[in-house]
Amino acid sequence: MRFTQSIAPVLLLLTAGVAQAASAWGFDDGSLAVVAKKSGGTSKEKLSQKAPLSKPVSLGSTDTLKLLLTAKDNGKGKRPHQAFLVLQEPESGLEAPFPLTVKESGKAAVQISHKDLPVQLLAATKPLKASVVLASFGSAQGLNTPVFEVKIETDANAPPPTYEKPLRYGKQPEIHHTFGADPKSPPKVISLFFALAVAATLPALFISWVSLGGNLNHLSKAIGAAPLSHATFFGSIMAMEFVFFMYYTSWNLFQVLPVMGAVAAITVFSGTKALGEVQSRRLAGER
Amino acid sequence: MRSLLSLFSLLAFLFAAAVSALSTSGNRLLVILDDVAEKESYSKFLGDLESRGFQLSFESPKSESLALFHLGERRYDHVVFFPTKTKGLGPNLTPNILVDFMNANGNVLVTLTSGTAAPNSLVSLLTELEIQLPADRTNLVVDHFHYDAASAADTHDVLLLPPPTSVRPDIKNYFGAGAGKDDVLAFPRGVGAALGASELLTPILRAPRTAYSYNPKEQAEVVDDVFAAGEQLSLVSAFQARNSARLTLVGAAEMLQDKWFDVEVTKAGANKAAKTFNREFAKRVSGWTFNEIGVLRVNWIEHHLNEAGGNNESNPTIYRIKNDVKYTISLSEYVWTTWSLFTVPANDALQLEFSMLSPFHRLALTPSAAYTSAGESESGYSATFKLPDQHGIFNFKINYKRPFVSNVEEKNTVSVRHMAHDEWPRSFVISGAWPWITGVGVTVAGWLGFCALWMYSAPVGGKRAGSKKTQ
Repeated sequence: MRFTQSIAPVLLLLTAGVAQAASAWGFDDGSLAVVAKKSGGTSKEKLSQKAPLSKPVSLGSTDTLKLLLTAKDNGKGKRPHQAFLVLQEPESGLEAPFPLTVKESGKAAVQISHKDLPVQLLAATKPLKASVVLASFGSAQGLNTPVFEVKIETDANAPPPTYEKPLRYGKQPEIHHTFGADPKSPPKVISLFFALAVAATLPALFISWVSLGGNLNHLSKAIGAAPLSHATFFGSIMAMEFVFFMYYTSWNLFQVLPVMGAVAAITVFSGTKALGEVQSRRLAGER
Repeated sequence: MRSLLSLFSLLAFLFAAAVSALSTSGNRLLVILDDVAEKESYSKFLGDLESRGFQLSFESPKSESLALFHLGERRYDHVVFFPTKTKGLGPNLTPNILVDFMNANGNVLVTLTSGTAAPNSLVSLLTELEIQLPADRTNLVVDHFHYDAASAADTHDVLLLPPPTSVRPDIKNYFGAGAGKDDVLAFPRGVGAALGASELLTPILRAPRTAYSYNPKEQAEVVDDVFAAGEQLSLVSAFQARNSARLTLVGAAEMLQDKWFDVEVTKAGANKAAKTFNREFAKRVSGWTFNEIGVLRVNWIEHHLNEAGGNNESNPTIYRIKNDVKYTISLSEYVWTTWSLFTVPANDALQLEFSMLSPFHRLALTPSAAYTSAGESESGYSATFKLPDQHGIFNFKINYKRPFVSNVEEKNTVSVRHMAHDEWPRSFVISGAWPWITGVGVTVAGWLGFCALWMYSAPVGGKRAGSKKTQ
């Protein structure tokens, strides 16, 4: 009695160890079929848990993918609690599980068509990775193995599936303001040429006046007759031009206006005298 | 007298120190339990909270004195819900009141467990936040590949997970940082949630790829319909509202119990026993929820004209188009007990927008050593840029919203005026204007010449006068 008592836990441990070491989930008779609705044609492939299919299967928009397998615990057909076919989008790692309907004997099946797939997987450009997960409670080692890849063929006539990425808080693309172009001037040579052309009109004007008989011969006479008013009048005209020049370079309007007023008053007072003298010359027939 | 005063000031200082070692948003914590005796099983977790300065109050949902608000003000700053057997939580904890509580900046930590159905009130609240719980509410998360062989060799309902890594490369890892390689998190008999697409939700802890959620009553034999599986199952989820109020959902209340804090667990298929990371994780999850970590503060904002010889006035209300401007913001992050430097994670950027209706500029701010305080608690970030060539009312805008970090939204309005008439280059500098300026000069000289000629010109000989007379 004492012997059995002491040996029992050892035996229990041993069997547990053996069970743990040997018991593992797997599958047999795996097959994958893609049934086309239109043509009714099927393409069938054998699946093995050891190595995935070398080529990706393609799944059209009206096709149905059928997966059949027999789940086995340690070589015997049995129903696992978890029997999933997991499709993974390789770029984002997004996964969608499809539970298999399993019978007591371990025979399991699942059918997938486009309408079962979430839009993110439908929009995938790369083949989806499919793996089979078989596992259950207890000590048996679960199975999680890649079995095949499936390429989603979208209908060329239908609009491609799109989905809007959900808003996620994160940094946003940088924005740099595009400034309007600065105002541009023509080449300096051209500006200089036309500036000189404009400047050349002044000598041309004076020369043509002189050639038509223009002269300043009465200057001494005029100064002799009304020296103060002629000097002031002509000086005030020049002063007015100087006021304009100061306005252009530095003065503002409020500095300019009073000075202009003063100069204008001088022009009027001296002008009456000076122009009176000019009139007297005209009346004398000297103009 | 003096000694008494100094003693008093010392006490005041100590009190201030104790107060500073607290959450940034208050220390009044309400714990909702079915039975106050239940708190024994969470004694370490609650003790940790108390040692961090929280004042705990315990209430049962049935209690009539229970109220989250008093005269329109919050009575508590934070609420923890432990699993309760009652179906509803009574008239004092309706989803509406809980939403009001969060709108008033209150934080909520919800824990669930697979054994007891989640109360209606919490389920409605979570649904409002786009957190979906399985319809039958007693679902259980199992994983036949990552379970604790020591305590759940057959049932596989104690998940062992590595401490969480950061959700995205641009987010600081607040919950799993510094964990050892062998540290594991035990997630015993928990409920997984499916998160909606809301940007306010972030999973803290996701289930492993092979985990799934099932109903132990109806799906004991086989799982024909999965609520969610793999990484779609969020075991611990975080919600941060726009006002930075936080809600955390912990799928397994047992995670926070004493027995899972220091227990040794064995990964399936491994021989080595490992210690659980639960205690530290519980501290971090509660600390995050109750505003002890991941809280940002704006210390000050300054902007000025950045031009040689320009006005160096701070925060002027008006700038001119195309002015060079420097903007600086000073930020601090609260880390458990103190305000400390805030560093932007490596792949992230703190961005400044200069906007009128839409942003004209969106620039990354760079850390500036000159504005980082000597006390090492305020970090300055600045950017220099040229204002756009568009006048109007503009905003300097910082909109820093990231998962796990409290929201920073700052707006400073300035006017941007156009060029005044005397700020343009003078016309003689512009080569295209030379012909026109010459034209003005020529006109002036011609006018003076004409005046002189008109007044002082003598008639040429008598011919002209004679011919006039004959006419």
